[in-house]
Amino acid sequence: MPKCLVCYKWTLDEQDIKIRPEDLSLDSSRAKGKISDFDRNAIEEGTLIVEKLGGAVDALSYGTAAVKQSLKDTLSRGPEKAYWIADASAETADAVVTANVLAAAIKKLGSYDVILCGEGSSDAFNQQTAQRIAALLGLPCLSFVNKLSVAGDVVTATRKLDDRTEEVSVKGPVVVSVLAEINKPRIPSLKQVLGASKKPNEEIKIADIGLKPEELQPKTARLSVKGFVMQRKNVIYKETNVADNVAKLKASLASEGLC
Amino acid sequence: MSLYTAEQLEIKKAARTFVAKYVIPQAAEYDRTGEFPSYLLEAAKESKVFAMAIPKEYGGLEYDGITQALVLEEWAYGCQGMGTTLGASMLGTDPLLVVGTPEQKKMYFGSIVNGGIAAFGLTEPGAGSDAGAVKTTAVRSGNEYILNGTKCFITNGGYASVYLIVASTDRSQGLKGLSAFIVEKGTPGFTVGTVEHKLGIRSSNTVELHLKDARIPASNLVGAEGDGMKIAMLTLDMARPPVACAAVGMARRAIDECLKQLTERFTGKYLPPQTVQFKLAEMHAQVEAARQMAHHAMRLRDTTTSYAMESAISKLVGGDMVMSVTTQAVSLMGSYGYTSVIEKLMRDAKIMQIYEGTNQVQRLVIARGLLTQAAKRMQKGA
Amino acid sequence: MNFKLTEEQQLIEQSAREFAKEYLEPIVVSMDETREYPREAVKAMAHHDFLGLHLSAESGGVEAGFVTYIAVVEALSRSCGSVASIMNNHAMASYAIQNWGSEAVKKQYLPSMIKGEVLGAFAIYEQGPAPGIGPKAVVSTKTDAGYVLNGTKAYARNAGEAGVYVVTAVAEADRPKTAVAFVVDAKTAGVKVGERIATMGLRGCPVAHVVFDNVVVPESALLGAGGVQIINRTLALGALAEAAQTVGIGQAGIDHAASYAKQRVQFGMPVFNFPAVQALLSDSNTDCHVARMALYHAAQLVDDGEPFEVESAMVKSFLARFGAKLLVDSCQVEGGMGFVENMPLPRLFRDITGTTLVDAPSDTPERAIAMSIA
Repeated sequence: MPKCLVCYKWTLDEQDIKIRPEDLSLDSSRAKGKISDFDRNAIEEGTLIVEKLGGAVDALSYGTAAVKQSLKDTLSRGPEKAYWIADASAETADAVVTANVLAAAIKKLGSYDVILCGEGSSDAFNQQTAQRIAALLGLPCLSFVNKLSVAGDVVTATRKLDDRTEEVSVKGPVVVSVLAEINKPRIPSLKQVLGASKKPNEEIKIADIGLKPEELQPKTARLSVKGFVMQRKNVIYKETNVADNVAKLKASLASEGLC
Repeated sequence: MSLYTAEQLEIKKAARTFVAKYVIPQAAEYDRTGEFPSYLLEAAKESKVFAMAIPKEYGGLEYDGITQALVLEEWAYGCQGMGTTLGASMLGTDPLLVVGTPEQKKMYFGSIVNGGIAAFGLTEPGAGSDAGAVKTTAVRSGNEYILNGTKCFITNGGYASVYLIVASTDRSQGLKGLSAFIVEKGTPGFTVGTVEHKLGIRSSNTVELHLKDARIPASNLVGAEGDGMKIAMLTLDMARPPVACAAVGMARRAIDECLKQLTERFTGKYLPPQTVQFKLAEMHAQVEAARQMAHHAMRLRDTTTSYAMESAISKLVGGDMVMSVTTQAVSLMGSYGYTSVIEKLMRDAKIMQIYEGTNQVQRLVIARGLLTQAAKRMQKGA
Repeated sequence: MNFKLTEEQQLIEQSAREFAKEYLEPIVVSMDETREYPREAVKAMAHHDFLGLHLSAESGGVEAGFVTYIAVVEALSRSCGSVASIMNNHAMASYAIQNWGSEAVKKQYLPSMIKGEVLGAFAIYEQGPAPGIGPKAVVSTKTDAGYVLNGTKAYARNAGEAGVYVVTAVAEADRPKTAVAFVVDAKTAGVKVGERIATMGLRGCPVAHVVFDNVVVPESALLGAGGVQIINRTLALGALAEAAQTVGIGQAGIDHAASYAKQRVQFGMPVFNFPAVQALLSDSNTDCHVARMALYHAAQLVDDGEPFEVESAMVKSFLARFGAKLLVDSCQVEGGMGFVENMPLPRLFRDITGTTLVDAPSDTPERAIAMSIA
């Protein structure tokens, strides 16, 4: 009966973010929050393991005050209890800080057989959290996992790499990061949504997890975020002779190194 | 003194009889399948209704505007899918009524009089409301023009014997570089493409046309090179009031169907509620008003060359009116409205706000006319 | 005044939207073409607890409240009006059974209705001037065995697929005030469902006339508390549920038209940039927004246990005037493309019209509203 923990991130729904055409800055004022896409797969995977083998799955998240909005959503998807750390440091946290905070919290919570993460977050997509947490906890890390099974204390995973797949077995405990294709997150039924209010959640104060101030300092700083809009050149070749237009197009493409 | 002559009333009666026999009984089935009513062309041949605007000297009926209005209203009353087949053929024929050499008229009109139909090929995927953005090209080569391009949403395109195609003879001139050409069915390189499945007027044939190195005699140029936009605009001015006439017929039918169902449903001491009665009264008043505007525009069309604004008004009023009346009719008649010819009328009505210039384009024409008039008055006053 | 959905309501709405994307969007076009009843989708709805959404926990429902119900209907309708129609009519039947049915009838039908095993149909309308009047009205006659029903219900939604009908009848011919309601099993001898009727839209929702030919029902089939009250309350809720469809379908149309207009270039710019096009979109969006606010307000009154019939009538009256227009004008924004059936708007046009019908012309919402003023 494995004890599972899923680490998830509460991000902005990119569909709601508008790009200002003047300077490509982002208008997130109307953006709603959502559980980061691959983290949904991680939560589903944890839930599937527990449905199959018994045990329990907890959820853990580190974010700004907004993280409190994520609790019922997460608890409606299978976990029994949600732990959360809300701190302003999350605003500028990079992968180093995030991993420091999560690993420290996990040390406090106790031991888990399987710690699940999404392969990367839907906003930053650094693809480092699982690996860093594993290193900090001294645990093996299985990444790029698209198939997972647990039997006793043995965790077997299929890893999808660029040019091959690899099947790996590890004697637990283990940190796993999952790909989107590992499963299809269920749509929470209404009973599950209503049941979420009855499940417990617990705040972990950042002051209580024993981190030094420098461990909360990011090693990378985000200078700016701009929206990407496809810029079309809109060049029209208007020679009366088609052959001349073709020659001009060819010259233009050549000057850009395209032919 | 009657509003209509005895002859006009006879023609209207004949149209009504024709529609009762050849349009109304078949309309639902053709709407269901979307099949083109080829039988109708055969049935209509004797009455020469497709040639009703063509001058007598070319074998047509040369009906005046009001007579045409009465006929179009009856066809639309029966089914505007079939009414559009007639109306669009007339649209395709209109240009030759104002421009064209005697040889061109003889050939084009002759085709219609012999049982063929016409199509007007202006619209392209990139040239809808912006008709001037036509990209189809026509390049002079010896004593031929070679046409290349794609037209879309062309009514009657799959069945016409003659087409009036607008193409660019000089892309660098934009609007002023457009020209109008007669293209005959069967011209090599001229093919019919996708057939559209539509929300309404489903028995009307709406297709893509493809021109790939299609060669036509240079004598098929209508008017001079560069006249294309002018001809297109003249044609649309002519064709808009007939759309209004059809809108009146459709709306009249919607009201009649409501009345039929209400008299069946409310019998004996029971009358339709006052709110229903008043809504019917409003619908009827709108129809009557739209008819007068449509007929006014048709009369102006017969007597003057400067009626673009009234033409646009008639189409704007008629199109919006029939959409409003048919929507109201479905709602009023509830589930009966939702499952009977009344719902078909509402689906058919939608196009009346769109084709032959959307009702937004009509507003543009009217607004432009008003502002021009106001500026002139200011100048005179100053 | 709280204009926000609660967190639960938001999550349920989110689930409904995800459900619609996964189960309804893939079938919506083919269902419109073939009119095939969406059996699998209805099963999936039951599995996701949508069919017991509004019912009490005691009856086996989710008891999520009426505002939640409305939010789910709107979310589903943005993808598929037909399935929402099926759900609404089924919900009216199960609601009536839960509130006024005998214990026997509740036990017999509610569990299987919640599980989606038995579909309900709430059949009121007839072909006469008003329900209960005219030669075809459904009349109930008291007998020793129970009651005998005779007459025809017109344009009953879910007819043919329904396993149970909640039917209104009059105890005395031509006297609507003597209305009563019954739960009638579809398999009862004498229940004859007519041929399926082709509708303009909402084509996945079956519609047919249902003849009741000497249909014998036991005492326990009678719904308590008087027919008129049952009918009025259930219809008032049904009107709100239908309004949620109108608003959902309408918003889908407006959103599609706006996104089309942003990429359709004419006269050198996206047609969206023309003030006249923005006005069409804006007027539609405003009307839809106003309707939605009135709708959710009325739904909140339901949840608060306050009178809501007048508010329901106002929502119905507003959308009878402006509902179909939402799609008439959205199609207008798309021009020719709003008229071809390989684009979604024509189907939305046909569907939304079916949510704004006035089936009982003598019983207009306007009267109830006017009476409530001063």
